[in-house]
Amino acid sequence: MSIHIEKLNYVYQSGTPFSHRALTDVSLDIADNTYTAIIGHTGSGKSTLLQHLNGLLKPTSGSLTVENNKITAETKNKELNDLRRHVGFVFQFPEAQLFEETVLKDIAFAPKNFGKSDEEAEQIAVKMAKLVGLPDSVLQKSPFELSGGQMRRVAIAGVLAMEPQILVLDEPTAGLDPKGRLEMMEMFDRLHKEQHLTIILVTHQMNDVANYADHVIVMEKGRVIADSQPAEIFSDPEWLKAHHLGLPQTTAFAAKLQQQGVPFKTLPLTEAQLAAQLADMMNEQGGGLRG
Amino acid sequence: MSGIIDIKDLCFRYSQENEELDLSHIDLHVNEGEWLAVIGHNGSGKSTLAKAIDGLIAPEAGEIYIDGEKLTDQSLWNIRKKIGMVFQNPDNQFVGADVEGDVAFGLENQGIEREEMHARVKEALEVVGMQDFAQHEPVRLSGGQKQRVAIAGVLALRPKIVIFDESTSMLDPEGRMQIISLIRQLNKKEGFTVLSITHDIDEASLADRVIVVDDGKIIDDSLPQDLFQKGNQLIEIGLDVPYPQRLKGELAQRGIDLPQEYMDEGSLVNWLCRSILKN
Repeated sequence: MSIHIEKLNYVYQSGTPFSHRALTDVSLDIADNTYTAIIGHTGSGKSTLLQHLNGLLKPTSGSLTVENNKITAETKNKELNDLRRHVGFVFQFPEAQLFEETVLKDIAFAPKNFGKSDEEAEQIAVKMAKLVGLPDSVLQKSPFELSGGQMRRVAIAGVLAMEPQILVLDEPTAGLDPKGRLEMMEMFDRLHKEQHLTIILVTHQMNDVANYADHVIVMEKGRVIADSQPAEIFSDPEWLKAHHLGLPQTTAFAAKLQQQGVPFKTLPLTEAQLAAQLADMMNEQGGGLRG
Repeated sequence: MSGIIDIKDLCFRYSQENEELDLSHIDLHVNEGEWLAVIGHNGSGKSTLAKAIDGLIAPEAGEIYIDGEKLTDQSLWNIRKKIGMVFQNPDNQFVGADVEGDVAFGLENQGIEREEMHARVKEALEVVGMQDFAQHEPVRLSGGQKQRVAIAGVLALRPKIVIFDESTSMLDPEGRMQIISLIRQLNKKEGFTVLSITHDIDEASLADRVIVVDDGKIIDDSLPQDLFQKGNQLIEIGLDVPYPQRLKGELAQRGIDLPQEYMDEGSLVNWLCRSILKN
């Protein structure tokens, strides 16, 4: 499912003395089955943009089209329901929204709400629990007895139970330990590759951008200032520095080697890419010595 | 020698129904002025340990001494004045309408004189580098700035020990680095004893000593550089693997021979440059 945004402007408290422009002329395209990372500082407009994606906000001017649903300032709130069904949202600390007696009931809540029978909703819930890697043994437990990482999986399964085609993730690993973070990111990657979900990730973690995304949007002061691929964005450390954005660890490390004279044709993004390039250089060197 | 924190055979469980102890026979000695990093995966018991030290939970057995004084129901209030705690999310800690008012809150609670209060608030904001924001609304600050204000609120109370409970985990990379360097300044320059509970490898690497908590027990107590040699085991105990260790692993898989000892970023850069650029 694709997204097309055209000249979208959003003004908070429009027409009052507190009027504040949060998005200016945002135009972008997100293709079906892609993995897009949105990066930028607090206050750059990322969250405001996200809130348009499931109809929490409507544009002040311009438009947003998700598949065939076009949303403009004139769109009626009732017409936003379709959009909400297609776009699943994982907010920060989603486990704060758990409330049911059992894990299974919590996950089944949304499909029931959208009109599925108890039995159907439960079947969907079992399937989604499996998809996020929850063991069967926890399904009848209270979600509040689980560890933080597992609670978050329950909440994400609840979002997936609405069977969205687009999954929006707002810093989904905040507060998890490194192992939980890695498992969670691998899980989203699997959902993207196996369930063909279009993923939109808001993050400060440049390593995650390098490892998982195929499309990057950089926002600053309510505008899109770059719209490209990770390799291209991270090939310009000076530009990133000027905009207070970091590099993935690998790219930063390679840039240090480059300063010392190690000849990289292109700066690598992942450890595996860097190790492969270094191994090649060392083997050439070894070959030279032997000859 | 008595330290600023001495814990002897401490046991605790959240509920009598739990078969396992949540803190199990903890012995810990922390010297005044030391920076101790406490690591462990989520649910290992490291935050529980911090709560026990601040007297927020009552142990089932064992003793805790803070600055030579035994922690009891009677001494609790006096001991808490010596300990400041900074938590994960600064948004949950704000009470004041402006930065100044927020920093003053704890002092008002303790009935400190107005004049003294003004002096302490000013001093605390200067230490964290937020003096120019005294009249600002806390909600309009960045994450790192908010956390600095929260820290100023703690410092104004003049504790001896500051406990940072994953205080950098919700900040963006810039805010994270600001807080890590502030912790360092508080420890090295201002002489506070620091306990930092963390998953952050940069934070842990600056500590004097690192303890690893797992299943409510202290399973390791070592220098950061000794701990970091453990490579991929680190992720099991709740830390990230340091970048140079990860890259060494990838290179070894490709048949490159590397020195065994722990290398920090600088030494690995040098080693690689020598290997690649030798004539």
